[in-house]
Amino acid sequence: MTAYLLRRLLGLIPVLLGITLISFGVMKLAPGEPTDASLQFNPKASLEARERMERLLGLDQPLHRQYLRWLGRVARLDFDRSFRDGRLVTDQVLERLPVTVTINLAALLLVFGIAVPLGVFAAVRPGGVFDRLTTVLVFIGYSAPGFWLALLAIASFGVTLRWFPVSGLHAIDHEALGLLRRGLDTAWHLVLPVGVMTFVGLAGLSRYARSGMIEVLRQDYIRTARAKGLSERRILFHHGLRNALLPIITILGLALPDLIAGSVVMETIFSIPGMGRLFYDAVMARDQNVVMALVTVGALLTLLGNLLADLAYAYADPRIRVGRR
Amino acid sequence: MAAVFRNRLAATGAAVLLVLAVVAVCAPWLAPYDPLAVNLPDALLPPSPAHWLGTDPLGRDVLSRLIWGTRISLLIGFIAVGVAVVVGTAVGLLAGYAGGRLDAALMRLVDTMLAFPSIFLLLAVIAILEPNIYNIMAVIGLTSWMGVARLVRAEILSLKERDFVLAARALGASPVRLMTRHLLPNAIGPVLVAATLGVGGAILTESVLSYLGLGVQPPTPSWGNILNEGRVALGIAWWLTLTPGLCILVTVLAFNLLGEGIRDGLK
Repeated sequence: MTAYLLRRLLGLIPVLLGITLISFGVMKLAPGEPTDASLQFNPKASLEARERMERLLGLDQPLHRQYLRWLGRVARLDFDRSFRDGRLVTDQVLERLPVTVTINLAALLLVFGIAVPLGVFAAVRPGGVFDRLTTVLVFIGYSAPGFWLALLAIASFGVTLRWFPVSGLHAIDHEALGLLRRGLDTAWHLVLPVGVMTFVGLAGLSRYARSGMIEVLRQDYIRTARAKGLSERRILFHHGLRNALLPIITILGLALPDLIAGSVVMETIFSIPGMGRLFYDAVMARDQNVVMALVTVGALLTLLGNLLADLAYAYADPRIRVGRR
Repeated sequence: MAAVFRNRLAATGAAVLLVLAVVAVCAPWLAPYDPLAVNLPDALLPPSPAHWLGTDPLGRDVLSRLIWGTRISLLIGFIAVGVAVVVGTAVGLLAGYAGGRLDAALMRLVDTMLAFPSIFLLLAVIAILEPNIYNIMAVIGLTSWMGVARLVRAEILSLKERDFVLAARALGASPVRLMTRHLLPNAIGPVLVAATLGVGGAILTESVLSYLGLGVQPPTPSWGNILNEGRVALGIAWWLTLTPGLCILVTVLAFNLLGEGIRDGLK
């Protein structure tokens, strides 16, 4: 397992470098220099002052030097300051990260908990009523824009029926509530966003669960289990599901970028102060340091998710970590 | 291809797409009103015989805007996927054929691009470049070619060891001829499936960008920015939110059904 882990980590190095190169490239694509923001509107700024500032920021150096310098800072998780409020970008991201991670984890757990049983029951009788019904739902869930579903949920459950709050994480009197009530209040605010994210995520995963399960149920050991006279329940969940789950672990890892990307839209629509909302606001304000930090962090989180999925896969399936290469 | 159309769902998808294509082409004759004509006294009218799908906050006819939006959305979907297919095929072909270091380098590039949550890179680049439909097409295409590259590479890897390719090589065919005449035509099936599914994906992406205000810019109507403009009247003017979303849903669904149908047909 250690050897496998080392091999995987080494394989990540070129991708990590690639991520920083692309992030840096995008940042340099921006017209104008970062010095413009602070000097443009200052008529007293002389050419000398501009040159001094450029030297200070290292902008007079050749591009590869600038990249290395930036890389060195990124390695220490230093993304400089936001153009908007002058706060350290790292502080802003760390402040928002837990919100986004919590919401995504909640949605992921729900997706997993609902999609897998759906897929299993659909696979028991492929082409049956239940299978066809879920297939239709899955296709619709897969094709519907998530932000539109969110808008519909807000319009119906939020505005018309007034069942759930439609924005933010807290009620106005949140601070006055006890600890338990505060938790409930936040959970109450999360029902709609997490619900919509779950529905959107359900489609892909249940389909994979279904096809994986159909594949597994054709195997010889399932026939053996049937022949032994085991109960259908034991065959499905003990012999079948355990093997069908393996590929699903990988899919979960691959679903991570979609989830993070989805947070931009969901957090914007539901006014949730997470990473996605921070990103959207930074993009609209052309706050390059924050944008680049989040693009890099988003990619790193994705890599981390893929790595964890691979490790879980290797842990569950000895053939991966011992065999091949 | 006959097998494709035996699949009823795929045929339905194809039929829907045909209708949409006709709507897109004939938009100037089909739309009952000028999609850009502002008429403030008629703002936010509910559906009626005069305005079948009601009017928006500026009094523009929603049906007319949806019809013109079909044009924009399909155009962006097809061209973005065109860009993705060209880039992806080139990268996959080169990596699969050349092998070795070039292959390794190109595949690391694919891994890297896949690591970026798509919306992040899209929004960051578009905000810098300023949103207009050409930039949107290019950027959506350039951030979605990786799947095609992987598909093509995998096909080429298995094809290049096949007898007919070895025979062509033994006969002295040049690498370019091998790639364009022997390898590529045989790898086109999976690309077709990916492209069909990709158009749906690109249309979804465009709608998200336009909804966020970084896609097609008003007053040009697109399904995404009609949704954006309906946001202010959410809960009052349901027709502004329901109908553009349904258009997106039906279109993407049709592309997905057709794509899956072609995939089944190829097996």
